[in-house]
Amino acid sequence: MDLPERLRPMLRAGGSRFSRDAASRPILVFEGVHKSYRHGSPVLRGMDLVIERGEFVFVTGPSGAGKSTLLRLLYRAELVDDGRILFLGRDVARLREDAVPFLRRNLGIVFQDFKLVASWTVYENIAIVLEVVGLPQRLIRTRVAEVLERVGLAGRGEDRAGVLSGGEQQRVAIARAIVGEPALILADEPTGNLDPQLAVDILGLFGEVHETGATVLFATHDRTLLDVRPRRVVVLDDGRAMDVPEVVEDEYDNRLPL
Amino acid sequence: MRGLVREWRLHVLSICSLVVAFACLGAALLAVVNLSALEQRWAHAGRASVYLKDNANEHDVQALHDALLLVPHIVGVRYVSSVEARAEFGRRELEMHGELAGLPVDAFPSSLEIDVAQDLTDAELADIVHKMRELPAVDDVETYRTWTDRLAKLLSGGVMASGVLTIVVLGAVLAVVGSTMRLALQRRRLEVEVLKLVGATDAFVRSPFVLEGTVEGGAGAFGAVALLACLFYLVRGRVDVEVAGLIGMAPTFLPWPMALGMITLGAALGALAALLSVRTLGTS
Repeated sequence: MDLPERLRPMLRAGGSRFSRDAASRPILVFEGVHKSYRHGSPVLRGMDLVIERGEFVFVTGPSGAGKSTLLRLLYRAELVDDGRILFLGRDVARLREDAVPFLRRNLGIVFQDFKLVASWTVYENIAIVLEVVGLPQRLIRTRVAEVLERVGLAGRGEDRAGVLSGGEQQRVAIARAIVGEPALILADEPTGNLDPQLAVDILGLFGEVHETGATVLFATHDRTLLDVRPRRVVVLDDGRAMDVPEVVEDEYDNRLPL
Repeated sequence: MRGLVREWRLHVLSICSLVVAFACLGAALLAVVNLSALEQRWAHAGRASVYLKDNANEHDVQALHDALLLVPHIVGVRYVSSVEARAEFGRRELEMHGELAGLPVDAFPSSLEIDVAQDLTDAELADIVHKMRELPAVDDVETYRTWTDRLAKLLSGGVMASGVLTIVVLGAVLAVVGSTMRLALQRRRLEVEVLKLVGATDAFVRSPFVLEGTVEGGAGAFGAVALLACLFYLVRGRVDVEVAGLIGMAPTFLPWPMALGMITLGAALGALAALLSVRTLGTS
């Protein structure tokens, strides 16, 4: 069941409404993004990247390449030192502090460590996304039941999140990310804590989410996942993003600078 | 309210501390309320004692009695002999304090107890007292004004002490609720982080903490009022006769608007303390 138009999360700043022109633009544009935590050792140095609506993009690279930083800049946990990140046509870095929650309502974020509240039930962990936008409880119950079914956890709503297995917890995290029907789903090493088979299952789940029309940005350093589901691959190297052209499978490993 | 239920031990401990703080404030207010009532009562008692000289004979006393009844604003005159004065002083006190039992009967002077009209002003009373002191049979006139003045001073001291205590309690409530909220915030940092990541506004994140602070402060003040009420009625049932005999009135508990005000103050302070504690929620 789709959310009513008036209840869909909208990117707003200072009372201005979501621009319909944004629908024709790329969903995400990085323009000359610089980010450094220590002087002299930048993580991102003039990174450029364009992501179109409905794409599934793997962002990969060695540890410390800036995959998590890229995502953190996007959901405004960090600010760029220079450059622009345009999400739905708006510069994320220039959003006012009180507009950041509205930005995040347009994003679904999945983490390696799940970030579930262990003492809350599965239902509560998912429903909170819709509670913060003020949806009526009846609608929340319906939506949560739907996404639980989609992630294969139907009937587990009353279980405490803390008693679930790693794979189940990640499924709950994915359910939480998609329940608000966000414009973009960010996954920061979502399979990092899971065994290989579970990782493939979770990737499959992201694939299903993508097939419903969602744009997915999937950060991982696990090369085996790139083989499982050939998609657009962006490699972060030396602080810049580099698209890996589609290659035949036997050439694939040699082209990845991992 | 989920936080209140899940961390009930933390909140109960905090509320107990607040009960102690508010009980101190409540006790001070209780003393002020009763002192104020006593001062009011004594100020408007409409009584004066005309102490007679030892050599005043029956004729002088009767003449004075009749003359006083003719004075405007004096509505009643009653003669109290030395024997009656001693009896009024109290048999029990005399028995308890052996040295007083040895006092001669004439240690208690005879007097004319006069009742004056309630609308008599201080100036008019002073004028009557001045004239009575000139009479040959009169030794002294006591209007209890001195006692009322002393009581007024005691009352102003009590009000000042209550004011200081209010500031101390205010600080205690801010400290206790603030510490509890900071601890709760620390325990629930993942909860807060998740809320912010899913797009909750700062107001949304803060609201449960503010609600908890309000409940905590209000519950602390309510607990203090309830505790004081229990102690008050427990004690009053045993000593009210003696107290009434001593000061001429039975002690009263805090008027309900004051008790309600204290609970409201507790709730407001709790909310303020919580708001101050969680004003910065981090940037993640």
